[in-house]
Amino acid sequence: MSLDTLIFVISVIVAVFSATMMIVQRNPIASVLYLIVSLVAQAVLYVQLGALFLGSILIIVYAGAILVLFLFIIMLLNLRGNEDLGEKSPLVSQATKFIVSILFVLELVFVVRSGYVAESIATGVADTGSTGFGSVEDVALLLFTRYLYPFELTSILLLAAIVGAVVMARRENRDIQQSMFVEQTPSETFKKGQG
Amino acid sequence: MEFAFPEYNLRLMAPEIFLFLWALLIIAYDVLTKRKSETTAGYLALAGLMITGLILGFTGTGHGFGNMFVSDTAAKFFKIIFLGSAFMAIGSSFGIMREKIVNHRGEFYGLILFSTVGMMFLSSSNELLSLYIGLELTTIPLFVLAAFFKDDKLSVEAGIKYFIVGAFSSALLLYGISFLYGLSGTTDLVQMKINIAITHLTFQNIGVILILAIVLVVAGIGFKLSLPPFHQWVPDVYQGSPTPVAAFLSVGSKAAGLIAFAKIFVNGLFAFHHPDMAPNDWGRLVALLAVAAMILGNTVAIRQTNIKRMLGYSSIAQVGYIMIGIVAMNALGMAAMGFYIFAYMFANMGAFAAVAIVEDKTGSCEISTYSGLARTSPLLSATFAVFLLSLAGIPPLAGFMAKFYIFAAGIQAAQHDPGLYWMYWLVGIALLTTVFAIYYYANIIKQMYFAKEPSPHKVTYNFPALTVLLIGLAGLFVFGIYPEPVLHFASGIASSFGIIP
Amino acid sequence: MVPVSAYLIVAIVLFGIGTVGVLISRNMIVMFMCIELMLNAANLALIAFSRSLEVMDGHAFVFLVLTVAAAEAAVGLAIVLAIYRNRETINIDRFSILKW
Repeated sequence: MSLDTLIFVISVIVAVFSATMMIVQRNPIASVLYLIVSLVAQAVLYVQLGALFLGSILIIVYAGAILVLFLFIIMLLNLRGNEDLGEKSPLVSQATKFIVSILFVLELVFVVRSGYVAESIATGVADTGSTGFGSVEDVALLLFTRYLYPFELTSILLLAAIVGAVVMARRENRDIQQSMFVEQTPSETFKKGQG
Repeated sequence: MEFAFPEYNLRLMAPEIFLFLWALLIIAYDVLTKRKSETTAGYLALAGLMITGLILGFTGTGHGFGNMFVSDTAAKFFKIIFLGSAFMAIGSSFGIMREKIVNHRGEFYGLILFSTVGMMFLSSSNELLSLYIGLELTTIPLFVLAAFFKDDKLSVEAGIKYFIVGAFSSALLLYGISFLYGLSGTTDLVQMKINIAITHLTFQNIGVILILAIVLVVAGIGFKLSLPPFHQWVPDVYQGSPTPVAAFLSVGSKAAGLIAFAKIFVNGLFAFHHPDMAPNDWGRLVALLAVAAMILGNTVAIRQTNIKRMLGYSSIAQVGYIMIGIVAMNALGMAAMGFYIFAYMFANMGAFAAVAIVEDKTGSCEISTYSGLARTSPLLSATFAVFLLSLAGIPPLAGFMAKFYIFAAGIQAAQHDPGLYWMYWLVGIALLTTVFAIYYYANIIKQMYFAKEPSPHKVTYNFPALTVLLIGLAGLFVFGIYPEPVLHFASGIASSFGIIP
Repeated sequence: MVPVSAYLIVAIVLFGIGTVGVLISRNMIVMFMCIELMLNAANLALIAFSRSLEVMDGHAFVFLVLTVAAAEAAVGLAIVLAIYRNRETINIDRFSILKW
């Protein structure tokens, strides 16, 4: 089994396993953490497929920003899932955490090692002129030439989403409806969040 | 990699750009004037839609952004429908601005306009990626609009249900699209038409993936079109969301789903609508769903006690009829589809406007509220009756002509190609279900006109809502008696999709 | 080398897990996360197809889909926030005033 295949197998196991754990977990925070692990494993698959830029974007933007937003909301709403979570088969829970962590660390080791390997391959192929597949430059070139139209469309989409999210998430204060900016102190939000 | 910068042709996009900027202007206006005015934002939105329609009239045809953006007859026809339904939805929304929405009027109209812009971009996109993003731009503002009454339990529940269903369906659609991309190696729909056929000839074993792709795309767009079995959300969301938003969902969002469907299937998967393509033949699949829609929509609508739920089921049935036009896949079918959605716009938006007027007065959407309404509010009852009769397909209203053309297209397709003999069955079932439909539409008219007691309520009209009622009334009569100009315009849709008459 | 079809199978498995998750999950936020997982499975398929076709269009696709997913998540979580203030729960079973 080559190193390439080994990395593939491990990341698939991690990705699929943590995706499954995500849906069986009762505690939403654990679900988010499992999804992050799954996404990192998927990012490894991206890199194996030559999508270096997108792999890093997946980790930075998706796991780093979007899922943190999920975490933020869960903590804001103060959701605990099941209260008796700690007593529920602690042994199995501990074991799975342990196994996933080990696999994760192993994977990181392999990725770091394969980084060197990939680099050596890339420099080896560079002479034939076929590098750049999946690089930042090429994605950017595509986005700003051929796919400029959908790219511009997403800017409208993001604006619409911002307006929508602000409308939905803002707490209405009936007494000072007409005022433009309703101040909301953090401590107040926290108290209301706890119900 | 070498890339040439495409020719932008921004002037073709003028209506969309204008409407987008106008939406920003409305939001900014509302915030800067400290949300004092109840109606100005609404009138501004109506004016913006009219100006956009005018600009659309002066916009030529052609391609922009390389081949990504296309302005052809199909796109223009559907843009008129989007603008029209947004206009009528906003027109019927002035009532709820008085009490229910006090804090975010500008955002309400801004989001409707954003959604309209998304629909317009969607109808002009010639390629899968912008199609997907256009569809998202259409639905994301609608999630918020459905949940716009934040204090109302029903509205928020409608919003969350619509969001889950919408996000789920867009994931299905994206997965289907990824397979289409993999099979054709391109995101351009015209190129895809050729490439997939070639791939299909070269590799015999792509069948399974193609079936999966077709099923996923049908499911993904089927949710937006509310084709059974992807329809469960419709009555709930219509009932819970603000009435103008439900109206916009029932016409604008459905027309958007329809053009997306037509673009992917009639354009991209043109070759696979044929009996010889047996397992990959999407025609039969869609025909089955259309039959399910007609039967289910029309039978379940009979039992409803809430008028918005009833209109929801009726809209499921109407989509079933429209799909006959797409399955027929001939020039008449495409024109009939266009005409149907055009007539449906007047009738359905009008009906929802009437519901909104009654709801503003009585606060209720139960069908029993309408009992005896004809004696206290004759104008509303008469127009509402006309809208319902048009939805049922009674001559001389536009709804009748629409059904007539749709059935004619189905029969023509069956005669033309012996492999499509099942089209006779499809049209037969459609005719049969139309009879059921008359029953529940007539039931409401009976309630309004033949109740023993006169209704305790007398509705009051505001000017925009009254205008919407009259527009709907005029449209149904004028285009029912004289459908030629619209039909002529709609016949251009076929050539936009490359179907030669 | 791992064949590209292996990645496609992984994508199908992940997509399946996401779909099952949406259907069985009772917690709205977990449902959203399952939808995110489905989108990511589709992205993986797009990148795998991109690799096998040796064209990068799929990469542009994935990039923009990530943006769309971010917008969707923002709006969805805002609606969850609104509904939690309204009902004090996000268990989907509790939302049955409308019949579903």
